[in-house]
Amino acid sequence: MNLDWSVAWQYRGMLADGVVVTILLTVLTMAISVPAGIGVMLLRQSRFPILRAIGLVYVEFFRNLPLILLVYWSFYVLPLLIDLQLSPFATGLVALCLNVTAYNSETFRAGVNSIRAGQTNAGLALGMSRWQVMRKVVLPQALRRILPVLASTWVSLFKDTSLVSVIAVGDLAHAALQVRSQTFRVLEMLTVMALIYWSLGYPQAKLVDWIHRKYGTSE
Amino acid sequence: MDIDLSPIFNNWRFLASGLLLTVVLSASTMAGAAVVGLGIGIGRSYGPKWLTVPLTFYVDSMRAIPVLVVLVWTFFAVPIVTGLALPPFWAALVALTAHIAAYVAEIVRAGIASVRPGQTRAGLALGMSRAQVVRKIVLPQAIIRMLPAFGSVLSVTIKDTAIATVIAVPELMRQSETVAAQSFRPLEVFTTTMLIFFFLLFPVTRGVDMLYRRVAHLGRS
Repeated sequence: MNLDWSVAWQYRGMLADGVVVTILLTVLTMAISVPAGIGVMLLRQSRFPILRAIGLVYVEFFRNLPLILLVYWSFYVLPLLIDLQLSPFATGLVALCLNVTAYNSETFRAGVNSIRAGQTNAGLALGMSRWQVMRKVVLPQALRRILPVLASTWVSLFKDTSLVSVIAVGDLAHAALQVRSQTFRVLEMLTVMALIYWSLGYPQAKLVDWIHRKYGTSE
Repeated sequence: MDIDLSPIFNNWRFLASGLLLTVVLSASTMAGAAVVGLGIGIGRSYGPKWLTVPLTFYVDSMRAIPVLVVLVWTFFAVPIVTGLALPPFWAALVALTAHIAAYVAEIVRAGIASVRPGQTRAGLALGMSRAQVVRKIVLPQAIIRMLPAFGSVLSVTIKDTAIATVIAVPELMRQSETVAAQSFRPLEVFTTTMLIFFFLLFPVTRGVDMLYRRVAHLGRS
């Protein structure tokens, strides 16, 4: 077996671009799906049954779908439905956001529900509006409890971005697989891909453990 | 926009065989991961240092690498290293088991840690051996507490089997891609697949919730 690891160095530019796209996708998805998750959570706690139903259906549907299927669906079907051709990057972003928003809204809901109802009642009794109570009393406390879960979602998301490679978004997985098929250096490129993901993901996983220890609430 | 469902009706056997393989792959991955994960989790909780360090490294590495990468590596790189080519289904089973086992191991470790150390000490003080304490006192409580997390791992497993499409395992995702490509009807085919996956996964997540409410009181101490 002759191995030639220099191929990874030779294509370093492509791999570095892939890393940038992977990180960009992770950051953008999280930036969009945190507020969107809060929005869906508010829908689920709305006074109007129809809005609650919409929130419930959204969350249950997207939580119970494989992400890769959602990626394919967004790529092949979404343009037919909305009559708008998105770039692969935007398509991947949409699929990731749809998925992560559902998880985030569940995270927020659990966090908000963990704040005792007495606090909301106290706020209302003091003459605050429902919205003020949510913003000034409940959310600041809930956010602290939510942070460890969001951190775990972040790491899953970072790994899940690799799935958009199936629709040729130039993320790390796609870049590495491209180099593999151009050079036929299969073992080298796949190992390098795994090592890059590992070196990016391992510190994140450790950081999440630390956040859990620092902020995690034990029952 | 015209809707034509005939590709789905004409290929329903083909799609059903994919669904069957998705179920078989999920079930065997889950069974394998439960056994391996329980081993790793117990090894990490009670093993000597020379064992806990590599196990911790293994679990954290698996948490850091995407399952797609593990799948592709197992299918394409392992044959180059070992000279032994696995068929797609077996490569997927090995890769998914290796990946999911790490998550199971984390759950097992957390479950064991959640049983108060006083109970272990009480067992030891009563003259039980360490193995007896683990088997008769710690695990029965820990396993019940692990159930909800275990249920979410089951639904993660079912979802992850869809990624096996990248190494051409003919499960539901792969079969739908084939039908969609041949019939030029992605809208109908992929939307149907979505519904199938939803109706496969929804009862699993709901069933686990219900099961947990039934047995939660057994895990209290």
